[in-house]
Amino acid sequence: MTTEELQKLNVTKSVDARGTACPGPLLEAKKAIGTIMPGEIMEVLSADEGTKVDIPKWCTKQGHEYLGTIEESGYYRIFLKKS
Amino acid sequence: MCLGLFTGSVDKLTAAGVIISGAAAMDMKVDIYVLLQGARAFKKEVGDDAGKLQMAENPALKEEFMQSLKNLKVKSWVEFFREAKEITDVKIHICGLAGKIWGGEKLEDFIDLADDICGIGAYLSSAEEADINLFI
Repeated sequence: MTTEELQKLNVTKSVDARGTACPGPLLEAKKAIGTIMPGEIMEVLSADEGTKVDIPKWCTKQGHEYLGTIEESGYYRIFLKKS
Repeated sequence: MCLGLFTGSVDKLTAAGVIISGAAAMDMKVDIYVLLQGARAFKKEVGDDAGKLQMAENPALKEEFMQSLKNLKVKSWVEFFREAKEITDVKIHICGLAGKIWGGEKLEDFIDLADDICGIGAYLSSAEEADINLFI
């Protein structure tokens, strides 16, 4: 998805993991995914480089749909849809 | 995942903590066998007390390492193990012989995270069935 498309998404849950280092963001994503319904969209905010790669791989493993990443100033917004 | 945890050093335990946290995020079932040096770190009087743990590598850099962990807000190794246990199926078995070497006879001599005391047969059976085997 393009940056414009990602910015227009209706995000159900925003997980701010910017204060944590690996494996923090992944664990926060894992805990938060249980709180939303299938089809709903979650964004993970992380200042950690590794998260950009971790979340897409995690999505593949867990069966969720990775939608894309927006690079903001000093952090990333990573979007996924729960299956 | 079957993890043979030989180490009792703070750097390797921290690494093991991150790895099993990752495994927990992936919903993996994890069996941890605490061997030799590891059994000392799991004793109640040691556990999270970094003053009682050494570095496996770069011992001269321990203070720098511990400060770095603090700056990055990295949890202690015990907290990683505890959180992983809360999220997924993680079982922690203390090798009986290793325990005895460090003066631990009963389960109560170890931190509350330990599930049972086992022998080498349990470790190897678990290793045989696991899809991922690690030795730290």
